[in-house]
Amino acid sequence: MNGYTGKFLDIDLTQGSCKDFTLDAARLKKFIGGSSLAASLYLERYNLHADPLAPENPLMIINGPLVGSGFPGSSRFAVAAKSPQTGIWGEAACGGNFGPELKKAGFDGIIITGASSSPVVLSIINGEAKISSAENLWGRDIYDVTDVLKKEDKGWKVLAIGPAGENLVKYAAIANDKAHFIGRTGLGAVMGSKKLKAVIVRGNQSPGKADEQKYKEIFKAAVQEIKESAFAESLHLMGSDAAMDLGMMTGDVPVKNWTSGGDFELSSKLSGPTMRETYLTRAHACANCPVACKRVVAVKDGPCLTEEGPGPEYETCCTFGTLIMNYDLAAVIKANELCNRYGMDTISAGATIAMAMELYEKGIVNRQKTDNLELTWGNMDAVFALLKKIAYREGWGDMLAEGSAAAARKLGGSAIDSAVHVKGLELPMHDPRGFHGMGLAYMMSNRGACHLQHAAMGMEQGMVSWPQLFAMKEDYDGKTSEGKALLVFNAENYGILGNSLSICHYLMYCLKPETVRDAFNAVTGFNFEFQDFLLCGARDWTLKRGINNLLGVSVKDDVLPKKILTPLTDGAASGSVPDMELLRNEYYAIRGLTAEGIPKEEKLRELGLEELRRKLYENK
Amino acid sequence: MAEYKAFTQEWMDAWKEKITGSQEYKEIAKDWEGSVSITVNADPSKNVPETVYMFTDYWHGDVRDFVLCDAARAQTAKFVMSGDYARWKQVAKKELDATKALMQGKLKLKGDLTYVVRNIKTVNKVIDLLTEVNTIFPDEG
Repeated sequence: MNGYTGKFLDIDLTQGSCKDFTLDAARLKKFIGGSSLAASLYLERYNLHADPLAPENPLMIINGPLVGSGFPGSSRFAVAAKSPQTGIWGEAACGGNFGPELKKAGFDGIIITGASSSPVVLSIINGEAKISSAENLWGRDIYDVTDVLKKEDKGWKVLAIGPAGENLVKYAAIANDKAHFIGRTGLGAVMGSKKLKAVIVRGNQSPGKADEQKYKEIFKAAVQEIKESAFAESLHLMGSDAAMDLGMMTGDVPVKNWTSGGDFELSSKLSGPTMRETYLTRAHACANCPVACKRVVAVKDGPCLTEEGPGPEYETCCTFGTLIMNYDLAAVIKANELCNRYGMDTISAGATIAMAMELYEKGIVNRQKTDNLELTWGNMDAVFALLKKIAYREGWGDMLAEGSAAAARKLGGSAIDSAVHVKGLELPMHDPRGFHGMGLAYMMSNRGACHLQHAAMGMEQGMVSWPQLFAMKEDYDGKTSEGKALLVFNAENYGILGNSLSICHYLMYCLKPETVRDAFNAVTGFNFEFQDFLLCGARDWTLKRGINNLLGVSVKDDVLPKKILTPLTDGAASGSVPDMELLRNEYYAIRGLTAEGIPKEEKLRELGLEELRRKLYENK
Repeated sequence: MAEYKAFTQEWMDAWKEKITGSQEYKEIAKDWEGSVSITVNADPSKNVPETVYMFTDYWHGDVRDFVLCDAARAQTAKFVMSGDYARWKQVAKKELDATKALMQGKLKLKGDLTYVVRNIKTVNKVIDLLTEVNTIFPDEG
């Protein structure tokens, strides 16, 4: 089958068994790959009500059909499981080089269940899977364990967890070759619960393409489009942190745990241009990417020394910068390195610490509670100490390792007002008061507040205009809620394809939709039209929503946190708040949800989600 | 209020006056150094028979040259911005943000993008002040 190897691995770590299985072409055409395919398997084959850290909870690592084709941005793969952080559907996509290598090793995906009694490594070399002891690796941080493994064979592509994953920190991450992170929803803790320290892949197979000649032409066109894209150029020069200066001007950047919106000194000190002028040593690219947006940085003097290594993304420059009032980019880089080594999501870690600082300022917690750490705004020594406590679940770090929402609930009283999350997942660093559509996208994202399950950011902020896909404006007013439900609906249906095809969202913003479609068709031979893509996107969203409904999610959970419904008094978004009721009501109507927030039966039939319909409507 | 025909020297003078009269601009643009040329591609169907070239030059909050020019001079600017008439009209009428137009590929920029991002407030202020000029567009006048 073109674009696919046709083989998946079923690993049971309790039994120590490795088996192959195949999926029929009809299913692949319906769900394409990545997290969409993972969700279809999860619904059909696994116990949704298993505890996220129980052996039954499957950890699913799945490629899309473009992975391994060499198409620009096609390095990505999805990892999915029931999330220990949120208790609902969890997924994260990652770039790097693991996905293409997994395909070369002969597999479209790996599903890992069970739990080993002692630490193990899973290696998949040219079609052969093997489980071996990792006693000597347990306890090592991500950089260290990756280096140790690569000493054996530098061609190995490595997925690894650090101490945070081992200690079941609820927002533990998984890293691919130190630099690329499956960050959100705590999937590193799922890996840790299985005592799986690392997965290694290596292979030399080459998946076929349906139309090699056509693909070559499309590839050439894609490279040209990227060359001409100002968005691609800005990413190459400044990384994702190119967004900082403009974001502060438009009201996108959150400041001081979402209580301020206008500090241009902060954005200037932490921006992409500043990083380029100070700590950047080189740009780094995922496999098959001509953009090279990843930063490689080093802090060579001062109190925040770091070795040369992966630099912070925009999100991290906010969570360890603007959100906690830290004006020192070197300290952001240090915090990023610590999170990378411990293996923690920098969004959740930074946002949880920002909440802790606000609670400290308000006197809800004091030095007795914080293990004598003075959690004043911008105190980075306290941040570095707290990150270690979280990763190892020491002292107060044990509570904060549960994430901001869970920690605030445990503290009780008004602490919850300082936790800025949707469905237990901390908001990414884009303020819905500046962009109301993003607020709705956060409310409705199936993994909790998310900026990458859709293309709402690109569409609403004007990075892209795709009139060939659906009716949309070239220039939206961010600070209005009218018309945003349709924008988000369309943004989800197209944007989620990034996680199923699998292709980088940034590259989707640089490439014409026609080019993405034609590449997909040339690789798979499926002959999709735009409508087929959008139907797959709608099916993906509805399937994951239905899974969440089965896990208890309903209209009560589709809400924005109090902070976001409180107007700012400074910055570009001053005085503006999303109209949550309007957004949700319009969205429910367009998406075909009942008043309770459940997909209607006719919608499930229309999308071909019969098993989900049965589970939602017949097994009550 | 006076109206000016787009892409004439009088129109450019009116735009320059808006900029030099803005205290906010002076403050925002205190770090900006260098020239920006603007190329409006010909569109005979919209009464723009020939490509228009403009040369504008800014220095630490002051405005220096602000003139129509030829293609050769336009190319000497530190930054060269170009695009179709319809796009520039959208920008001048505040229907399309210039940064969004750039990201969407509807306007092109030649020059150090890092510098532009660093000084994005200055760029936006200059465009904002353009939208305050009462403009008669070639296909409307």
